[in-house]
Amino acid sequence: MRSLTDAQTDVRIGLEIHFQLKGEKLFCRCPTEGKGNKLGSFWRKLRAVSGEVSSVDKAAVMEMEKEREFHYEITDNSCLVEFDEEPPHTPNGENIDAAIKASLLLNCKIVDALNFMRKIVIDGSNTSGFQRTAIVGINGYFEHGNKKIGISTVCLEEEASRKIDEKDNKIYYSLERLGIPLIEVSTSPDISSPKEAREVAKNLGMLIRRIGKIQRDVDSIRQDLNISINGGNRVEIKGVQSLSAIETVLENEIKRQKSLIDISQILKQRGLNQDDIRIEFIDIANEAIKWNSNIIRKGIEQGNKIFIFKLPKLKGLLKNGNYRLGKELADRLRVIGIGGMIHSDELPAYGINESIISWIRQILNLEENDAFGIIAIPESKSALVKNILEERVAQSLGGVPAETRAAIGDETRFMRPLPGSSRMYPETDIPLIIITKEMLEKNIKDLPKGVDETIKKLESLGIPKQEAMVSLDLGLDEIIEEIVKKYGNPTVASSFINRVRPKEKDKEKLNIIFNLLNQGKIPKEALDTLYQYPEKLEELITSSKQTPQLENRIREIVQARRELILERGENAFKPIMGEVMKEMRGKLEGQIISKIVRDEIDKIIHEK
Amino acid sequence: MSETIKFMSKVTLKWKGITVSGRYINEIGDFIIIKLDNGYNMSFKKDGIEIIEALEPDAQFENNNHKKVNGNKVGGVVIIGTGGTIASYVDYKTGAVKPLKNFQEALFNSEELETLGNIEDEILFNIFSEDMEPDHWIEMARKAYERMKEGKALVFAHGTDTMSFSASALSFMIENNHYPIIFTGSQRSSDRPSSDAYFNLKGAIKLAATSDLGDVSVVMHSDMSDDFLSIHKGVRVRKMHTSRRDAFKSINDIELGRIDSMLNIKLNDNYRKIKRENDMILYDKFEKMVSLIYYYPGIDKEIFYKQIDKSKGSIIAGTGLGHIKNEFVHYLSQYRDEKIIGVTSQCLYGSVNLNVYSTGRNMLSAGLIPLKDMLPETAYVKLGFLLGNFEFQRAKELLNTDMRGEISDRRTN
Repeated sequence: MRSLTDAQTDVRIGLEIHFQLKGEKLFCRCPTEGKGNKLGSFWRKLRAVSGEVSSVDKAAVMEMEKEREFHYEITDNSCLVEFDEEPPHTPNGENIDAAIKASLLLNCKIVDALNFMRKIVIDGSNTSGFQRTAIVGINGYFEHGNKKIGISTVCLEEEASRKIDEKDNKIYYSLERLGIPLIEVSTSPDISSPKEAREVAKNLGMLIRRIGKIQRDVDSIRQDLNISINGGNRVEIKGVQSLSAIETVLENEIKRQKSLIDISQILKQRGLNQDDIRIEFIDIANEAIKWNSNIIRKGIEQGNKIFIFKLPKLKGLLKNGNYRLGKELADRLRVIGIGGMIHSDELPAYGINESIISWIRQILNLEENDAFGIIAIPESKSALVKNILEERVAQSLGGVPAETRAAIGDETRFMRPLPGSSRMYPETDIPLIIITKEMLEKNIKDLPKGVDETIKKLESLGIPKQEAMVSLDLGLDEIIEEIVKKYGNPTVASSFINRVRPKEKDKEKLNIIFNLLNQGKIPKEALDTLYQYPEKLEELITSSKQTPQLENRIREIVQARRELILERGENAFKPIMGEVMKEMRGKLEGQIISKIVRDEIDKIIHEK
Repeated sequence: MSETIKFMSKVTLKWKGITVSGRYINEIGDFIIIKLDNGYNMSFKKDGIEIIEALEPDAQFENNNHKKVNGNKVGGVVIIGTGGTIASYVDYKTGAVKPLKNFQEALFNSEELETLGNIEDEILFNIFSEDMEPDHWIEMARKAYERMKEGKALVFAHGTDTMSFSASALSFMIENNHYPIIFTGSQRSSDRPSSDAYFNLKGAIKLAATSDLGDVSVVMHSDMSDDFLSIHKGVRVRKMHTSRRDAFKSINDIELGRIDSMLNIKLNDNYRKIKRENDMILYDKFEKMVSLIYYYPGIDKEIFYKQIDKSKGSIIAGTGLGHIKNEFVHYLSQYRDEKIIGVTSQCLYGSVNLNVYSTGRNMLSAGLIPLKDMLPETAYVKLGFLLGNFEFQRAKELLNTDMRGEISDRRTN
């Protein structure tokens, strides 16, 4: 079979990649990483305030939000700013520096001043109802092999809350992630295949990680994609979680878009006109109660009407091979909380047999190419549902509707129409932040080395080239560099770290075991065991904390008072201990210090 | 530049060797602000750009936001806009905060309004909370009196900073109001999806439209969630947080009641019921030469005396049970028959008591009036109201007499 994504389809893909920064949150002084304690909760409702979408979409949004409650779990790294109970603080300068560096690495023009904007988002993921975002760089490019991929913008923005759960009309979020700084890199739609998209995302990620301060954990980098094919419209896909998913999601999306374009051509051949698209509902609950259909009976028991309606000229296009217009309709209804509809392409099924089908076709007066739908909904929603169905059927004449979709596994699902530019307005609580010449120069001076240079730097530390490249890919080069600089053993350290892929929290553990290795206290064969079984480490941690340098320094001080010891014997302990404590207070526990001092004094006395 | 380029004109400019186009917004200092097609605003340093083209703005960018929904009908509620966060909206294009022309279109769709009753609105003035003066209180009281005569209940949309002063002022200036007078505001501006304005205003309207609540009251969020609104007696409420939704707290009294998220109202039994048998009385004068003095260790004698000397009456927020330093007490005693000097506590919670320590007893013999558990701000408003509308001796007697539930001898929490 010919691939659907081969060269004859003109595919245009753009990427939006988000990098979380470590340290402090963007608009408050909370740490980006919490200790995981939960400190209570609160709940809110949100209202759409800026209406730039069509009336049908607006109605859908309003319908949805009327009932929705957003519950927020307070974490130990959140404060009144995240609760939307205090205005944002001035953004952290380090975060601005990181965004400037990212822009410079991508050859962007840096703005003269940052204008933070409020981007309306009413899914509850931001307690304020908007996300704060500012452009830092524009008009850049990224060299991918021999190809230049345009960089349209580099933005500095705040991360949203993490969704924990969703029950009925309640959505639960944790505030842990809210407000973490994000660098968002948006490419121009210069990418021409799913494979290339994955490669660009990977290489771009490697480059941006050069800045440092970038979170490496799996869910800390998320990609949004936008894709259009010839004859279609731009579709935005949100929340692709991994590099490998980029390729499969895009392949499936291209397949979907191609089938929608085919459907539009078929509908034109069948002579469907915009004017024919009139959805009329007929309530047949009285008849349907007699059917042997559980799904229908349940709908009636819940107090719903059972409506049947004509879907003009859609027969064989709702569910038939690649044609899945039925799913498109169902996805639209899901947004207003309607579980689904039954359509004629999937019948007979659900206890609806041939005789019922022909009865319905007769009632609706259907022609050969017409399909029909059955839906169980309350009367109050019928006008809105009709509007939504009419709109989506009408859009099928135009092929691919411009919309925002969510990545769910390898597939995508309708979320909302493409947002317009008017959902942004200025964040009035934050003044203009001027990017001074000094700020620019400082960042240019501190600009990290490119990928090639970094590999050379790692090699100069004795790390094998192969391991250096792997570490860059995994984003582990910083930690390898740190460990090797502190404790040597470049070959062992790089291959070990690349293999175990430590998380941020594992850093301390790594420091301890490589310190022990360096001191010759453990063989390199023990690294794995110690890394895997931290309980064994505990014993070693306590002893390893009395670092030999400190111990030696204490002995030095004691040795310097040799005369006093020879003169006073054990009575010299008190004055010497006082002297040692002056230097060692806070570095080691008093008990340990006193033991070393005593041992050392004893040694001197006994030498005598 | 702004002379020649109009708001929302399409502009094309050269900057750092590239061409940028967007719509002209405004200028801030050395910067010109352009809205790009993707919605972002970008700032350009004026001396670093060259404007290539600036077209006339399209007609569609004229502002036509607000229109009136309901007309003038008998009965129902009037929302009176006085300013502050709740009565302003953010212009989505410039980010500038502008006064609302009316509330209905801005905050509600008409369907929601219909369920709450017959609503009309009126903008009385549009000033920040901190710019409110006694003259504004007088104007508000007159307006309330006039609209109540027409059979309307009132909701005042007010800035939050001095809302408790205004609520106290109207409590005193109108005796025996025939309809509810409710103050509300918002701590988060109404341009935000998360704004507290909707719930606060809806609750206030429902309370004004349906209850027999006689106390001039403040309705604001009870906590960080959107689950309850608290109803506070105007003379007992204070803003206790700079930014939280639940900044308003009843002090030395329990709340008058709560309103839940479905707008069900539950009133406690400590509220005054409206009685229309008696006439409403408007007291629309206020003595401005009244001061509120915060005592603190180290306060300079000259500074302290000057304020007392200049004022016809003063409220002192003293330490603890209401004390000021002994040295000052003797000086104040000379004004025994000339000025009214009331004593409240900067503790806010609890009652003043000048019988416990000798300092307090000296203060009493100097003619200072202990104002029990009255809030300092309420006492200040009350004193200005009394000196404006009553003779000296009567004013003095009334200052520590309960008039509107502002003072009490009994506290249960």
